[in-house]
Parts: sequence; structure tokens; C-alpha cells
Amino acid sequence: MIFQFDRRLLQHFDWVMLLLLILVSGMALTNLYSSTYIADTGASSVFYKQLLFFCVGLVMILALMTQDYTRIAKAGYVFYVLIALALLYTLFFVKAIAGAQRWINLGFFNLQPSEPAKLILILVLASCYAGMDVPGGCRLRDLIKPIALTLVPFGLILVQPDLGTALICAIVFVSMTLFVRLRWATLGILVSAGIACIFIGWKFLLKDYQRKRIETFLNPEGDPMNHGYQIMQSKIAVGSGKVFGKGFMEGTQGHLHFLPERHTDFAFSVWGEEWGFAGAVFFLSCYFFLLIWGINVVMSAKDKLGALLAFGCTMLIFWQAVINLCMIMGFLPVVGVPLPLFSYGGSSLLTNMLAIGILMNVRMRSFPVT
Amino acid sequence: MFKLFTDDMKNIRKQNRRRPEPLLDAERRKDPGLAILPQRDDSELGGLRKKALYSLVLVIFFFAVIVTRLWFLQIQQGDSYSELADSNRVRYQEIAAPRGNIYDRRGREIVTNRPSFNVIWTRENNKIDDEWLKTLSRILGQDTSTLLEKIRKMVGVPGHIPVRLAEDISWDLVARIENNRMYLPEIKIEVVPLRVYHQGNMASHLIGYLGEISKEELDKADKELYRGGDLIGKMGLERLREKDLRGEKGRDYMEVNALGFEQKNLKGIEPLPGQDLHLTIDIDLQRIAEEEMAKDNRAGAVVAMEANTGRLLALASAPTLKLEEFVGGISQKAWQANLDNPLHPLVNKVVQGQYPPGSTYKAVTAFAGLAEGLVNPDTTVFCPGSYKFGNRVYRCWKKGGHGTVSFKRAVAESCDVYFYQLGLRLGVERLARYAKMFGLGELTGVEMEHEKPGLIPTPAWKKSKRGQPWQEGETLSIAIGQGYDLTTPLQIAVMTSVIANGGTLYRPSVIETVFGPDGQAAHTFTPEVLKRVPGQGKNFKLVREGMVEAVNSKRGTGREAQVDAAHGIIVGGKTGTAQVVRLAQYKHLKEKDIPYEYRDHAWFTCFAPASNPEIVVTVLVEHGLHGGSASAPIAAKILNRYFEDKFSDQGKASEAAAKEARKPAKVVLSQEMLEDTDAPADEDAEDNGGETPQQEQLPH
Repeated sequence: MIFQFDRRLLQHFDWVMLLLLILVSGMALTNLYSSTYIADTGASSVFYKQLLFFCVGLVMILALMTQDYTRIAKAGYVFYVLIALALLYTLFFVKAIAGAQRWINLGFFNLQPSEPAKLILILVLASCYAGMDVPGGCRLRDLIKPIALTLVPFGLILVQPDLGTALICAIVFVSMTLFVRLRWATLGILVSAGIACIFIGWKFLLKDYQRKRIETFLNPEGDPMNHGYQIMQSKIAVGSGKVFGKGFMEGTQGHLHFLPERHTDFAFSVWGEEWGFAGAVFFLSCYFFLLIWGINVVMSAKDKLGALLAFGCTMLIFWQAVINLCMIMGFLPVVGVPLPLFSYGGSSLLTNMLAIGILMNVRMRSFPVT
Repeated sequence: MFKLFTDDMKNIRKQNRRRPEPLLDAERRKDPGLAILPQRDDSELGGLRKKALYSLVLVIFFFAVIVTRLWFLQIQQGDSYSELADSNRVRYQEIAAPRGNIYDRRGREIVTNRPSFNVIWTRENNKIDDEWLKTLSRILGQDTSTLLEKIRKMVGVPGHIPVRLAEDISWDLVARIENNRMYLPEIKIEVVPLRVYHQGNMASHLIGYLGEISKEELDKADKELYRGGDLIGKMGLERLREKDLRGEKGRDYMEVNALGFEQKNLKGIEPLPGQDLHLTIDIDLQRIAEEEMAKDNRAGAVVAMEANTGRLLALASAPTLKLEEFVGGISQKAWQANLDNPLHPLVNKVVQGQYPPGSTYKAVTAFAGLAEGLVNPDTTVFCPGSYKFGNRVYRCWKKGGHGTVSFKRAVAESCDVYFYQLGLRLGVERLARYAKMFGLGELTGVEMEHEKPGLIPTPAWKKSKRGQPWQEGETLSIAIGQGYDLTTPLQIAVMTSVIANGGTLYRPSVIETVFGPDGQAAHTFTPEVLKRVPGQGKNFKLVREGMVEAVNSKRGTGREAQVDAAHGIIVGGKTGTAQVVRLAQYKHLKEKDIPYEYRDHAWFTCFAPASNPEIVVTVLVEHGLHGGSASAPIAAKILNRYFEDKFSDQGKASEAAAKEARKPAKVVLSQEMLEDTDAPADEDAEDNGGETPQQEQLPH
């Protein structure tokens, strides 16, 4: 039953998405090769690791394809419990690295459970909303379950502390909730509650360094050596690329370590510096076409669950990308949000590839099997 | 779209028929409206699709925003970000330019540079580590605490500016540090040019010294050229010729990373050495002047000048500055000691010392008398030892009086009575006019700092400064160079040169040639005529004759200025005594009992050779009492050396070549005079021939 696979499904295999994934990942790996290149030894182990993760990711996508997404969504609750336990484990049993407890050492690699948590949240929310049938739109009490489902990982990630990822969980919840039908009253209550939460959060929940980041963002020149410095260096990197860039491996900002986190959060700065406006627009075109294709998958989904899953996955990638790009270009404060599929990080890459896998799954199964 | 819809509907129906998935099934079973599920599902899917379209708009919107932002950053502001990126990664380090050397007129070194080796350590990327600190302190023989103290002092200075742990270390130590390079990876040896004063403190007032640039200087200076810690000329030619001497700094460019580690060297700029100064000063003459002044701890000034060009051959102000006190900034204590020194070493007496010219001024009075036709060589005056004017008696320096004195004798023996009378006839205004012709009371324009103009009084001056009318009796004082008259030693030298060369006033100069780093002369000395007294060749000659008598006649006042008979050179000169005080209480005292600061200043100014003067020497010894005994011997020593060198130079060349060499000076002189008078300077008798010689005595 588990390995039951209709061969006819292959006819509807989403080649476009796979092609876009390979294109984007190819550029990501090229960029990673450059940004982590070490003068004497050549390509760094970081690059090979990421290449390995990409291959593993491809295999996982293929494995995922064999299963109907309804089955995956159903299993979502199991994963949900597991990931909640993993998050709890990081909180209590993992020593903090740089002030945050984020990683579980699995021997062969350090799992960051907050990454898959985002995807699993999409699974449970999708199956939750898909099962809901409220004529006239959701009332507030219909939202209790999804809110509860979101709050668990959100809270656990927030206390790690990892503001960026927690924020993404919240955004995923908001996107998916707005996606299903809501009553206007519910919407009103939710918006005012949200504003209240932001206010309270700013006052009581945010750590000093997080508040500092937002303050620096609002006045970057006031703090040139710290967070403003990172944004400034990122802008300098992107800006100095000009039309055609400095050339592959020729970027000075990245290679001379002026850019912080140049292979993770600020990876796109390196790309912008080395390939210029032309290269950046080419990359963004591919990237956003992938997202648009994701919305196409939503449109063509055969049922509510499929549409919700596809929408959640697309929005997961979209919002992370928007936040990351805005941060790199100085529109947003420094929040630790990577550029999906582009920034280095095994957990993040696998999670986002699985999200693409779900999209491909929905797409493939949106056609009637004849 | 429609096809998609129908496909979906079929699909859903098929699913329903085929038995729905358990999870959904479970949910649906609770649902009472199961029968109409397909339609509702459809409509709900339609709602979702509509919202998906909204999200498509959102995605495209953000794509547009991001691309626009990229356009702004990379295209619109790309150039400025490019510059920022470059300034991020490129750092430069300045390489000091070797300062220009200073030579004397014969190309002998006065000030040059030598490389000095400093041990430097750059803070920014390095940690203070016990290991290298210990190794270094062992090699240098310094305590680690002294080294640490030096590092501590630099806290607050930007990290890439190196800390100098040891300065000017020996070759031996350089070699030892290089040998221990592997233990001292972060230590570097910096090569910096350092000033070497080959002649010690010689001509220290003229040459000056260097010091670290002060904050005020830095504020005024071109920031491209100077920065904190640079050395800059603080005094003398080092300051005045800073522009020529400093050269251009070089730069080493290197690419650094965010932590400041040097990644690679980029192409740099070599420093351009400063221009060399060749002075008109002759170090042999300068040394004699300074050594003579240093004997008996004298204070004063010595000037030796070429009579026909204005080149200064020696410029000594005694006592000299101790340059070692000034290099690297003078301490408050040493400064105070200099201020308190009664010999005033800080004053450059050549141009800053103002003294009454005393009897040297009689040359001006004498010339004025001749030029105005008030006296002629045969005019005699009876000197009884004093002269009564109004109700006051003006004494001659010779109590017994000179008896009947002719013009020549009056100059030679410096008869005061003669010049009292002549001064009265000339009047203060005319005297002042003539004094100006000789450059007295005016800046000479020499390249030295803080030159004082001296003072030649006029009734207008007295009226405006003192608010009192001119007293006729004061004319008597100024006629013999006392009273309000003030001159600098350089002015007296210039005055003498005007007499010596027959009426041309040259700007006194110290720079012979400025050589650029390419060895090409950027500037070469040419005599600069500031003033001319035309048509007075004969009168100048008469004054000269009087001055020659002063040195060579039996009763002359400047007999000690005679030079070695072997040279066959005749010197003409004038002594002078500048009264410091006229206090009765010291009048009766023996000279040696008068307190130092109340003794008279001793002047002597002269020219040689008498027939065709080429050199002028002026000596002022502060509180030296008598020009004839204190100053004239110094002038004689300088003249002796000058002619010794000249004849030995000539001896080296052939006699014919020597004559050739002597000619140009004469030609220059004749030409100068020809322009004005159409007759050689010394032979123009006609001009004054028309004037009526005054046979009778001057009226009282």
C-alpha cells in the first residue's frame, strides 16, 4: 500500500518545477562555491556538504512523489508531535550555540528542527482547514484549533530564541488563514489581536538584541559597526556589482569578509556583487517564476487540501525570500531568515526542497488518472 | 480554465465514487450536507483560486519592488557603492620622502638624511603575546614593561597606525631581529629618513630644525600632504623652504580584509625626495665666525657677504642654538633656560638684534655730506674734544680732541665733533633719506624669519610715536649713530656693501641653487638689485678711502682688521660703539668693572680688497666695548680665511684662469654703474668736479 504507485502519474510529472528547482539550486551552488572558496585549498567542505544535501533532497522529493499528498497530510499530525518533541529537546538538552539552542546533533549532520517545523505546520494547518466546512466562512471558534496548532511550534521556536523562523511560522499561519474563507468579524478580531500582539511582543517579549536590530534598521548610520554595519556592507556588496557584476569569484566584499554570513543569510549579496544587475534579475526571474508556478499549482489543485498544501508551500518560500531579499537590500532589519534554496544550510535546503516536492506532488495528482 | 474545472469535478466525483480518503471521509461523515459536497467543494475551490490570484498579484508586486530596488542600488548608485567597496578593501600606508639635503656653497654637506630603523608593531589584527614580547625585549635590551607602556600610549589612535616600539636602532639589532623573524612574525622594521647635522649646531638660526607637526599647523596645512606625526620645518630654512625640502610622500597600497589582514600588495607610489638646497654660506667662514664668537662666551652676530652680489657667506648669531634640544620638541625646562640666558640664544641677532649703529653710521653721514656738497675731501674741522650745541656739550670720544681733522681723518679716526657739525648741516630729514638709500631702517628681505626693520628716526616719526617735536640736539646724536637709530647687523653689512660696490643695494641671499630630485636646478641665484645710488662713484670712493685709513693709518680705529700681509690685501672698515646706557655712575668706572649688561656693543664693518671690494664683513659683539678691539680681529680672521681659500683656489687653476675668474665681478660692477652714469664707478670724477670745493671750516 505504501509503495503503491500509479505509473500513469508519471505522465503528469511536473518537469517545469523540477527544472526550475535545478536551475535555482545550480545558481545557489555556484554562488556557494564562490562565497566559501578558500584560496589555498579550493572549494570548501561547506560546498560539498550542500551539494550532498541537494542530492539527498532530490531523492527525498522522488520518495515523496510516490505517496499521495492526502496520505502525507494525514501523517502530518505524527510529524507534528515528533517535531514538537524535537523542539522541546533542543530547549532542554542542547547547549546554546551563540546564545540560541537550535541544533540537534544527529551524528552525520546537525538538524535544525525549526526548519522542518515550518513545513509540518503547513501540513497540519492544511489538513485542519481542508476538513473544516463552515458555510459563510470561519468563525473565531473555528480558528481555535489552527491557532493552537501554530502556537506550539511558534512558542518553542521563539524561546530558542529564533525570531526569524518563529515569524515565518506566524506568517504561514496568517497566509493560510486568509486563504480560507473568513468572516469579516473574525478578520477584524484577528487583525486587532495581531496588532496587540506586536505591541506586547515589542514591549515584553523581544530580546534586547532583537529590539536593537529593529532600531538599527530604522537608523542604520547610528550604529555602523554592528547591525547597521551588516546592512551597510550588504548594500555596498550589491550596489558595487553595478550592471554586470565583478565576475565569478571576483567579489571583494564577500571574499574579504566584509559581508557577514556571506554564505547563509547574505548569500544573495554575493550573487548581486559578482553577477551584477543582469545576473540578479536573471536569478530573480527564475526564482519568482518558480513561485508563480507554485501558484499555478494552487490554481490547478484538484481539491481543497491540495490547494491549501500548495498555497502553504508557495507562501513559505515566498515570504522567506521576500524577507531575506528586503533585508539584503536594506528594506528590513536583520532577521535570521535565509533565502530558501539559495542560502547554505542543510535543514533549510531539505525543508524547502520537500516543500517543492509537495508542490510537485499536488501538481502531479491534480490531473485525473485515466 | 473551464476544462480544468470540469476535470476537477470529474475527479472529485470519481473520488467520491471510489471511496474517499479516510481522513476526509471521517470529517465528511459528520457533515450533514454531504450530498451537495461536490458543488460546494467546487465553489470553495473557486474561492481559493481567486485568492491564489490575489497572491499572484502579491508575488509580482514584490518581484517588481525588489527589481526596482536592485536597479536603484546597482545602476543608479552603483558607482558610489563601488567606491565604498574600494575604500573598504584598499588601505594605504605612507612612505616618508627623504627630505632635501642642505649643502654649503662648495657642495659640502650641512644637513642630510640617513635611514633610521624603527621597530614597529601594528595593533589592529595582532594580540599582545608574551612570547614575542619577551623575545623582542631580550633583543632590544628593554623591559617588557617599557614596551607595553609604548603600546598603552597609542590606545585611542586608529589601530592601523603602527606603534613604534624602538626608534633608530642599530644595524646590529636589525640583523638580530631579522634572524629571529620566525619568533617575531608581527614585528616589522620601518625605514625612516632622519636628519643628520654634519656641522653640529652650525648656522642653527639659519637652518633651523624639524619637529612634529602641531595641531594648529595641521589645521592650516594641506591634508593631502600632512598628517599627524609628520615632521615639519619649525624654524629657519627648514620652515621657510619646507615646500622645496619636503618632497612627496609615497604610498603603499594593500588590499585588506574586514579584519584588517593584508591580503596582497597593490601597485604603490614611490616617494619623491625633496629638493636639495645649496646655500651661499661657506662653512669654513661660518665656522670661524662661530668659533670666534664662542670664545669668551660672546653674544652677537657676524655677517660676511659678497659685495657685488648679495650672497651671504657667513651668517652667525652667537650663541648658536643647541639643535639637539629642539629635535623632537623642546622641553619646557630647556626653553626656559634659553629664555633666561643673558646671551639670548633664541634671538637670531643677524636680523632680529637691533642696535644703535654707533660710529659705523658715520659712513652714511660722511657720504651724505659729500653727496650734498656740504663737505669735500679738503674740508677740515677743528676738534677740541667736545662740541657745544645749545646749552649742552657734546663730547668727542677722544677727550683730548683730534685737533684739525680732514674728511678722511674724520672717518678714519671717527671724530665725533666733525660729524656733529656735518649732521647739523645735513639735518635729520636729509640724514634719514640717505640712511634709507643704504637700506637702513628697512627690511633687507633676506630669507630669515622675524626680521626686524631697525629704526631711522625722522621728526614725523617722533611726532607720531612720542608725541614730541624733534629736538635739534638729537640730530647730533643720530649723526654719529646713537640716539634713536637702530640697525641690525645685516643692515650694516648691506650698508657697507653699498659703499663697497659704489652704490648698488643687493638683496642679501642665502640660497645659491635649488636642485630638484632629477638633478636639475629648479632655481639658481641671480643678484637682485633693490636700489641704486647713481652718479656717486667718486663720493663712495672717498668714503672708502676714509675707511681704508681707519684700518691702515697709524691712528685708525680698526687697525686690528688688517689681514695677513702675505695676501697683499688692503682692508677698509669702520668701527662703532653702540652705547647701551649713558649712566654717569659707570662713566668713571674702568671698563672691566662695568656690569656686562651695561657695557657698550662693539661694531666693526669692513670690505676688502680696498681697490676692488668683493667681500663685506660685519661683526657685532654685544657688550664688547670697543669695535676696534673686540670685533675687528674677528673680521680679520674671516677675511684671512676668505683670501686664503681664494688664492689657493686660484693656485690650483692657472694664473690666467684666475684673472678670468676675477673679471666677471668687476664687469658686473662696471655695468651696473654704466647704466646710470656712462662712466666706471670709481673713475667718474666729472660728476662731482663741478661742485665748489669748500675750503673754509664748517660754520658753527
